Amino acid sequence: MVTFVVAISLNFILPRLGHSNPVDTIMRKVHTPGMTSKEYKKRYEEFMVKFGLMDENGKKTTIVRQFFSYVGTTLKGDLGVSFTKYPKSVWDILKTALPWSLWLQIPSIVIGYILGNILGALAAYKRGIYDKVFYPLSLFLMSVPYFCLGIVLVYIFGISLEIFPPSGGYAMDMMPSFSFAFFASVLYHYILPFMTMVLVFIGGQAIGMRSMSIYELGTDYVKYAKMLGIKERTIVMYVIRNAMLPQLTGLALALGFAIGGALLIEIVFSYPGVGLALYTAILEMDYPVIQAGILIVTVSLLAMNFIIDILIGLLDPRVRISHESRVE
Amino acid sequence: MKQFKLLLRSPWFVFGAAMFLFCIFVGVLYPMFSHTDPLLRGALPFEGPSPDHWLGTNGEGQDMFSALLFGLRSSLFVGIAAGIFATIIGTIIGIVGGYKGGWVDNVLTLVTNLFMVIPSILVLILIANSIEKRSMLLVAFIIGATTWPWTARAVSAQTSSLKNREHVSLAKLNGYGIISILCMQILPYIMSYVFMVFIIQMATGILEEAAISMMGLGPYDSVTLGQIINQAQKTEAFSNGNWWAFMPATVLITALQFSLYVVNTSMEGVFNPRLRKES
Amino acid sequence: MADAKTISDPSKVLLTVNNLGVHYKTRFGHTVQAVDGVSFSLAQGKVFGIAGESGCGKSTLVNGVMSLFIPPLFYSYGSVVVDGDDITKYDSEKLRVDILGKKISMIPQGALNSLNPTRKVKHFATDVMRNHEKNLSKAEIYERLEERFEAIGLDPRVLNMYPLELSGGMKQRVVIGISTLMNPHVVIADEPTSALDVSTQKSVIRMLLDLMERKIFGSMIFITHELPLLYHVADDIAVMYKGKFVEVGESDQVIFRPKHEYSKQLMEAITKLSTTGERHSEGARL
Repeated sequence: MVTFVVAISLNFILPRLGHSNPVDTIMRKVHTPGMTSKEYKKRYEEFMVKFGLMDENGKKTTIVRQFFSYVGTTLKGDLGVSFTKYPKSVWDILKTALPWSLWLQIPSIVIGYILGNILGALAAYKRGIYDKVFYPLSLFLMSVPYFCLGIVLVYIFGISLEIFPPSGGYAMDMMPSFSFAFFASVLYHYILPFMTMVLVFIGGQAIGMRSMSIYELGTDYVKYAKMLGIKERTIVMYVIRNAMLPQLTGLALALGFAIGGALLIEIVFSYPGVGLALYTAILEMDYPVIQAGILIVTVSLLAMNFIIDILIGLLDPRVRISHESRVE
Repeated sequence: MKQFKLLLRSPWFVFGAAMFLFCIFVGVLYPMFSHTDPLLRGALPFEGPSPDHWLGTNGEGQDMFSALLFGLRSSLFVGIAAGIFATIIGTIIGIVGGYKGGWVDNVLTLVTNLFMVIPSILVLILIANSIEKRSMLLVAFIIGATTWPWTARAVSAQTSSLKNREHVSLAKLNGYGIISILCMQILPYIMSYVFMVFIIQMATGILEEAAISMMGLGPYDSVTLGQIINQAQKTEAFSNGNWWAFMPATVLITALQFSLYVVNTSMEGVFNPRLRKES
Repeated sequence: MADAKTISDPSKVLLTVNNLGVHYKTRFGHTVQAVDGVSFSLAQGKVFGIAGESGCGKSTLVNGVMSLFIPPLFYSYGSVVVDGDDITKYDSEKLRVDILGKKISMIPQGALNSLNPTRKVKHFATDVMRNHEKNLSKAEIYERLEERFEAIGLDPRVLNMYPLELSGGMKQRVVIGISTLMNPHVVIADEPTSALDVSTQKSVIRMLLDLMERKIFGSMIFITHELPLLYHVADDIAVMYKGKFVEVGESDQVIFRPKHEYSKQLMEAITKLSTTGERHSEGARL
């Protein structure tokens, strides 16, 4: 909760640290040749009022007031109006972008998490040659920046070999619809960005899981279980379950990087998500869109963190019980 | 020092360190490698590699090879500086919080967690967007100021486990002030850890710089690897298949990251024997 | 549970170890003979004590008797006979199903970490049972667990708890309970009292002896580095040093009239400590 408040405040304060007056940008757009200076001034003031920078009496509003009105309107769901694409509202611009971003991020994170952990556990268990090859490979994947891998993949598969399309969310001559052809096109365009996300994410998860599993495999309870004749398979399940829990905590941290990476991947692939929208907005100095975009990303990140926290509480008895008393 | 010798025995460490140091070497001694001014728009745009221009030219007719070297140097500068900032800030916060405990620690931990959850990239976008004169040093500072939480957490944990050791209590009893205790009793012991963390912070610094440069928000007073890629993208080098305009920079960024991670992993293997492989 | 017939025969020999050798290979290819020519046998209702310092090969001996030869540990020579079969020749699957936890069971050192922290006691116990006796329904298993735990003096409510929620002594008793579930012929107690305070030590030993008397298990090998402790527990004692039994005999004799130089030193070193009241361990040297 506190984080949310801080996030909103930062979101508000930071852009305003610069000195440019956003209304100037709009005026440039709205300005038509032949406008008299009187008309210009009038329009200017209209906009100032509209954007809360000046109240009706012509006095400039204070920052504090601006802040509160910002918070108020945002919470009501009104994210404001775009500067450069005036009069389009920010929400209009972002609402089509958001699903694309989530569609890229969520499946790749979930699949990457599951696969990465399984591979990591396997490497810890099998050791030997499998591990010797696997370990450097996943270390490499983990350290490759998301967008770098994206660039490499796009170049090799998208441009050189032309196996996959290099850009866009779907074929350019198609309109979004519920047809099979559309879905097929979406999937086709999905593969490269998806693979980029998944590969890097797997790298990180696998390395972490491998270390955790190695640790768990050496614990006393594993030795004891073996001595009691418990099946190998059951013991492996123990290890995986116990190693997963700290991994979940790690997931919450890795999410921040993954989402950041996803945004950059959108730029590389021209994928129509929030990342690309942010990029365009930055180029055009479209402040409301930038602000709202960041807000949305932060909120979704916080939401995901929250879900993970709940999951951990449910799955890890150690967390659940730490408050209760012991039995003598 | 003993540990350093152990490190040298690890092939991973040697490989990673060599790679990274080589990059630094090239970056620093860059003027010796290329005499062409990277900003000179002298040649035809988008020409492939040739004897005149080893890595061809970009969309504005600038020599890619020298741009690459220059970019390497800038990226390294920003990355390392950012790493230094982040490590210093994080270590100070971590040590103070870990040692003091109590409400000081609680507050600092809260702040740390706060910053940790908000992805640095977003804060970077916000800050970089509002400041027009973004010098390399400033960018490095901003990156450092958003990526320190990781260090703080790690250092704090180490410090709080150290603070109950005998030599610390002894120093306290002898009336040493808190600053000297922190410097003489605790810092030396966590040095190897801090160094490891510094390596990661450097890697993060380089990465973050490349990331915001990709967004078009990089330093304005030089060319960095990230900006090279960004420019390539803007001038459609991607779709035209002009690999020389962006691939080398991409590969270089990856190489820097990888070498640093390798060094870090090998250090972990030496300093944390539990993870050492059994035969 | 297991067949009561073999156990109730008082003179029956349950375990014979014949000239057992176990070695392990180090990273650099050296071979270390951790157990060298060890022989002893166990009869129904008897406790065999093994005393020695850390590093003498006690734990390796445990692995050897259970025939758990996992690299870098390897079988060198000798035999371990249970119910007429040499189990060193068993393949791992047969060993797991027939022997481990069933005919020979171990109570580990430091029970504090021997239980899976994320699994309730009853689930863990179920895993053990399921691996030796298939085709039992959950209800049947829980019933037997409750019965057994009550019989050995453990509050059956413990079954529904996580290891976190139990105290050290409680955990040790739970571990004893689980290790003896299948009424093993031999229970190997590897330093069962090292991590406990003195009064808990006594109650644990009493519990073990009591269980043996009630035929919950057949016989016991009690391993410790505290030789005097064995006086209250063991019928026969072996003193172990560098992988060999340097002295074997009845407990009276070994403790009060040790023949071997090392045993003498071991006893002396410890008696010295108990008179000065100091609590750090001091080794004896040959």
